[in-house]
Amino acid sequence: MRFETRHFGIVEYERDSVFEFPAGLPGFEDQREFVALQQSHIRPIVFLQSLRRPDLCFITLPVQAIEPGYRLSLSAEDLRLLELPEDRQPEIGKQVLCLAIVAVAEGQPPTANLLAPVVVNLANRRAVQAIMSDSGYSHRHPLPVPPREENVCSSCAEGSARPL
Amino acid sequence: MLIVRRRVGQAIVIGDQVEVHVLEIQPGRVKLGVVAPKEIPVIRAEVKLTRQQNLEAAGGATPEKAAELAERLRSRAAGAESGSGPQQESPERPRNDEVSRSA
Repeated sequence: MRFETRHFGIVEYERDSVFEFPAGLPGFEDQREFVALQQSHIRPIVFLQSLRRPDLCFITLPVQAIEPGYRLSLSAEDLRLLELPEDRQPEIGKQVLCLAIVAVAEGQPPTANLLAPVVVNLANRRAVQAIMSDSGYSHRHPLPVPPREENVCSSCAEGSARPL
Repeated sequence: MLIVRRRVGQAIVIGDQVEVHVLEIQPGRVKLGVVAPKEIPVIRAEVKLTRQQNLEAAGGATPEKAAELAERLRSRAAGAESGSGPQQESPERPRNDEVSRSA
């Protein structure tokens, strides 16, 4: 299948590479479907591109690339939305993909929202932007930080903008 | 800033229609009940911060900005590993359980 994007032109994607956000994202509650795109020359950055709005795209980074010891503290409600067991936190990179949305404002250093990561259940591609109130993480964590070369997940695509 | 001390079972009233009740207090956290008309959304402050951050992030997300960011990350990685230790506050730190308002 194909969809149109403002920044990457027409992108080919598979239905099972779509992340489904049952609750949307704060500020974009009506946007339920996103595709993660990677460009090999700017790894480990991942673009989160809306399937329905060609102009809506987020720059994200895997949380491990920002904070190697990053810990999830998902609420029971978010675990339910992801269809994950409520009695334990999922493992980043194995059960879930965990991306921090980056804000790059003109004239200011970029920041990443570690307080509210985008968490994707790799088994069913259901996703939430999980607000982890008690985590102590900042919604404006300053970047850059030393990244680690790391595969976000085994299906990362090479080349021009391609879905994960 | 307005600061009010309240006990469990007490409340404050904002305007004519909004009531905030103190239901339960534990070390470091407080349980509040809010009575408000449907048209006044009641959300946690973190949701508002994340909404603002998302709107800002979506506005500036271009491949050019991403390339700049990648360059910053690379140049930083080439330098020494700096101690960007945990700057977040401890989860155990008591949250503000008093009602505050900007003047």
